[in-house]
Amino acid sequence: MAKQIGRDQQGITLRGSAEIVAEFFSYGINSILYQRGIYPPETFTRVQKYGLTLLVTTDPELKNYLNNVVEQMKEWLYKCIVQRLVVVISSIENNEVLERWQFDIECDKAAKDESTPREKSQKAIQDEIRSVIRQITATVTFLPLLETACAFDLLIYTDKDLAVPEKWEESGPQFIANSEEVRLRSFTTTIHKVNSMVAYKKDSFP
Amino acid sequence: MSQEWNDEWELSKENVQPLRQGRVMSTLQEALAQQETSIHTAAQLRKQEFESEIRFYSGDDPLDVWDRYIKWTEQTFPQGGKESNLPAVLERAVKALNEQQRYYKDPRYLNLWLKFGNCCNEPLDLYSYLHSQEIGTTLALLYITWAEELEARGSFKKADLIFQEGLQRKAEPLDKLQAHHRQFQARVSRQTLLGLEEAADEKGPDLLGTAEPQRSSLADLKGRGKKKVLAPISRVGDALKATNRNRSLQNPTSQQLSNSLHFAVFDENSASGPAIPVLTPQPWAAPPAPKAKENELSAGPWNSVRRPHSSANSGMEVPCTLPNFTPYVEESAQQQVMTPCKIEPSINHVLSARKPEKEEDPLQRVQNHQQDTQEKKEMVMYCKDKVYAGVEEFSLEEIRAEIYRKQAKKKTEEEMQAIAQKKEEMQRKIEELEKKLKKDDKRQQPHEQPAETRESSPPLGLQGIAFSSAAELGEKQPHLQSESQLSEDTQLHKAACSKKVTQSPDVCPDMQGGSVFLDSEGEQEDQRAEANLSKKDVALLPPLDPATFFSIFDESSTSANQNISCSTGHTQKSARRPLAIRKSSDCITAKENLPPEACDELNGIEPLTEDAIVTGSYKNKTFCANPEDTCDFVRAAHLASTPFHGVVAQRIPAPAYSESALKEDCPESKSTPLNQQMPICEGTYNEALCAKKLSPIMEASQEDTRSSGSSVSPGSSLSSVTQISTIKYLHIPEKLELAQSLPAEMVTDSGGISENVTGDDITQFLRGDEQRKKLLDPMPESLTASPDFHLENGSLPVMVFEKEFELGSETYCIKREYWTNEEYKMFFAVPVNFPQLDAKGFAIKVYSQPVPWDFYITLQLQERLNTDFDQSFSENCSCFLYQNGCAILHKDINRFTLGDIIRGCKAITEEVIILVVYNLLGVVEKLHKAEIIHGDLSPEVFFLGDRICDPFANDEMTSALKIADFSHSLDLRLQSRISLPNSFPIAQTPYGQQLLAKSSFPYQVDLVGIADIVHLMLFGDHVQVYQENFTWKISQNMSKTVGSDFWNKLFGRILNADGTQRRGDEEKARWPQEALLCVAFLGRGI
Repeated sequence: MAKQIGRDQQGITLRGSAEIVAEFFSYGINSILYQRGIYPPETFTRVQKYGLTLLVTTDPELKNYLNNVVEQMKEWLYKCIVQRLVVVISSIENNEVLERWQFDIECDKAAKDESTPREKSQKAIQDEIRSVIRQITATVTFLPLLETACAFDLLIYTDKDLAVPEKWEESGPQFIANSEEVRLRSFTTTIHKVNSMVAYKKDSFP
Repeated sequence: MSQEWNDEWELSKENVQPLRQGRVMSTLQEALAQQETSIHTAAQLRKQEFESEIRFYSGDDPLDVWDRYIKWTEQTFPQGGKESNLPAVLERAVKALNEQQRYYKDPRYLNLWLKFGNCCNEPLDLYSYLHSQEIGTTLALLYITWAEELEARGSFKKADLIFQEGLQRKAEPLDKLQAHHRQFQARVSRQTLLGLEEAADEKGPDLLGTAEPQRSSLADLKGRGKKKVLAPISRVGDALKATNRNRSLQNPTSQQLSNSLHFAVFDENSASGPAIPVLTPQPWAAPPAPKAKENELSAGPWNSVRRPHSSANSGMEVPCTLPNFTPYVEESAQQQVMTPCKIEPSINHVLSARKPEKEEDPLQRVQNHQQDTQEKKEMVMYCKDKVYAGVEEFSLEEIRAEIYRKQAKKKTEEEMQAIAQKKEEMQRKIEELEKKLKKDDKRQQPHEQPAETRESSPPLGLQGIAFSSAAELGEKQPHLQSESQLSEDTQLHKAACSKKVTQSPDVCPDMQGGSVFLDSEGEQEDQRAEANLSKKDVALLPPLDPATFFSIFDESSTSANQNISCSTGHTQKSARRPLAIRKSSDCITAKENLPPEACDELNGIEPLTEDAIVTGSYKNKTFCANPEDTCDFVRAAHLASTPFHGVVAQRIPAPAYSESALKEDCPESKSTPLNQQMPICEGTYNEALCAKKLSPIMEASQEDTRSSGSSVSPGSSLSSVTQISTIKYLHIPEKLELAQSLPAEMVTDSGGISENVTGDDITQFLRGDEQRKKLLDPMPESLTASPDFHLENGSLPVMVFEKEFELGSETYCIKREYWTNEEYKMFFAVPVNFPQLDAKGFAIKVYSQPVPWDFYITLQLQERLNTDFDQSFSENCSCFLYQNGCAILHKDINRFTLGDIIRGCKAITEEVIILVVYNLLGVVEKLHKAEIIHGDLSPEVFFLGDRICDPFANDEMTSALKIADFSHSLDLRLQSRISLPNSFPIAQTPYGQQLLAKSSFPYQVDLVGIADIVHLMLFGDHVQVYQENFTWKISQNMSKTVGSDFWNKLFGRILNADGTQRRGDEEKARWPQEALLCVAFLGRGI
């Protein structure tokens, strides 16, 4: 946290970048959970972040779970061994995958060896993140209504040689059979680049 | 990276309505991108496609088109609103698919309604309507949507009730419904708990009743009243706010009530109490009118408001002076009533359709529509259903174009297939001939120069082409003939001119020169192809030795050869002879193929006549003279200009061809060449005009092309040659089809009166047809349950004279055609197993629509008349309903009709007439007793009964006449609304027009029919009437007949039934009894 003071001037280090990206995931997942109504809206509270009012869960268990994941992500991001984070939203009743939020992470592994921070202001990064989160909010215009009660799953794609930590298990990709994919904006910290995409079940459109 | 294409949807996300099923991103992007350019050409085109698909859908699932259309609309117009026209589309869809029972359990149909509900002011009304109509009551979605709406309005109790109802009905998918119900219950209990907590926190339970109510915001606080000034109490409580969103004005007492109710609903103990209303299905016939109109003032008296007399000097008040300014009137206030016109929005932005006067609830409109259909008072005389089927209005031209395109496409496909086939055949032929030729050449070589041998093969190739084109196009033959007589350039010119002629919509075998090259206007593409073909022929002609070519036709038209000077110049080399002979034999076979082909081609024209389009699929027909009718125009033009006459005469055969596809049409083709010299008889003329209603512009253009066509070869010997040859060809079908239909004969026989028969046949397709279809859809059980009713799969068997066909399990052979027209055919047939031509056999009535009306009437008669249903009617009648028509089989019918007697006998003895009249009146009386109007009584519809035909029959028991045809009948019990006599065929006859002009008494139609029959039997011609002292009399002098007194009386009575019959309804059916008595009495006297 001490780094925050001079970040604007100092530029981006690997650790800072991992932190920013992990933080984005935290808010992003919260936003998705709120927007898509996975948890009841009254369990969310408003916070100001990225110049936006975002909703963050107050549910202690969920909070705890997300924190764990984000901490784990941060570590992996720092090691540059994570490739993708996927939020899978599936129906509770029949476990059918309805939506799939995919965040592809491109790590610049060269940054591991670098000692000098990269040049990019925090404001610029925050602006980029803001537009991604705004898009997540705006997706209601085309996403289908989730009519059944849904649960979510987090999938993290890492490099193959990673040992699966405790409480994590290996999983399939959980693709949607007949899906429409929409690419969202991306942002980059110059070390980590995050491309977002949402896939949803295609109805029998004409 | 992908920001460019991502932008669009995000930038206008506020303008995109979320959809339950989500959106397709590509469509969304496209739609939003197009919005900027504001050119929706693609969308417009697609929309047009849907619109026309709705109109011309021929499958069995019309809902599918609508479903796709609506989904497409939702996707393509993300911002909804006026452009998408979604409410209108939904409304149309709901109207169009109204009362389609088969869809009631279809989730798509329910979805349609639910979407429509969102456009309504009061969706709840719609839901209960759906419930009462059993639409989608087996589907969970209805209950879920309904309950959601109720929940949103705060009526949790009702919402729960809806869920209960759905669960009780086991609505599918049940688990989904249950899940929703559970979630609903969870939400409600949570909310209640929260409410309880809050209430406990803030006020405490004991303060609940005395809690101070809050005022509603923006409410009027001014004091009212004279002595006691009271501020209006319009307060709202917390709880009330939650339950009632849109009703703010309620008095505190009810508020308290609702407060307590609010908790009572969720009290487990009282939930099972009797206080809960039970959801009872409402017996609604139509969707309810919207009740929740906002801002509605109840009407009150105006005069009770007094002008306040505040001061004494009120009397001094200056009377109102005129204001010294002119009030500004907005232009839009005096909006002119615009004629609705169709504007392509992508072309013209300036003009727009006028907005509807009032905001009306779509639900109400649908309701009105349903009521309208229930009591249909208006008869639509054009294909209104097609014009207004979709959301956009189609012009008749568009519909016509669509039909035309369809046919053209079909034709082209067929043609292409045929051509491909013929090509193969041709190839084979060429090869064969080449082989033969080689042999021949080998023999001939000693006599001929080598150059000529080389030359001899092109003619052969051409021969192949000539043969094939003659076989496939039929008309090529004469064309080639004429071509060969002309120089090359004139040929080309002719080909061009013939093209012109064929493009005119009213094609008929024009006998002059190249215009023999007949073609239906239904396929211009084909024409082009054919024109190319013919050009190819022309191109191939020059190298050909003309003499060689002519030898082909030497056998068939020797006279032609004599006329042609050039052929004499080139004497045929003897060596060529064998070849030429072979060719001509080929040609003869080709010629034999020709006439039916020509007929086919002509039949292809028909569907483009306006009957099919303007009057709506052959159903309705305007009978009365109509100023709009271009027939009248044509008639007038005919009178005005003499040259026009010839043109008209030429045109006649075309409609005649087209009128009867099955008739194969002989008399017309026979008369064709004659028409050019002789004025056509009036009957045919009328018929031709009636069948062809073309716009004046079209007529004019026709005239032009025709005259230009004839100017090419004005009466030259060449054209006469072609005439002769064509006549020859056209005679052939006549020989093949000797059986001429009776009505056709009648036309020529009866000249001026032909309207009675042919008019009925051709021009008058029942206006009640559509209605009948509806009446018999779904088939009444009495019909389908009848043992004589057979529902057959597949299509109607083809019934042609002297041909055998199968009906049910029997095979019949048609022995006689009574009459045929496009819709109805009446045959006399015998079973093949009993081939002897018996006097008795089967009458088969074929109707080209799957509406067994005759059968229905017969059954009704049987039911209504009971014991009176006797031999006057067809007692053994069975019905075969096919997909595209129905056939009604009457057993034990005598071969001859009353018409045969009238035609066959010069003078009918009075006894016979009396007998017939007696029976006639008896039959009609029975019909009327059963409240059935026959509508088209003519000698043709009465088969002779056993009393006349069978000498051994028991006089008392049998009837002299049998009536089996009810094509134009009217069941007054069902169709009482359209009982105007002038819609019957008989009303089109001169006497009918006179007699029925002012009458609205339906029974009279049959009286006129009787009068006519009697008159026909007495004098051999149709009745002619005049009026004297308000009494109708017949023009014919009666005195020469024996029982003149009696006949005068009879006619007096029958003709003046209307004037004397101003009686009650119940008596109306009783008139014939009197006449009958009178006849019986007088009959004995003679």
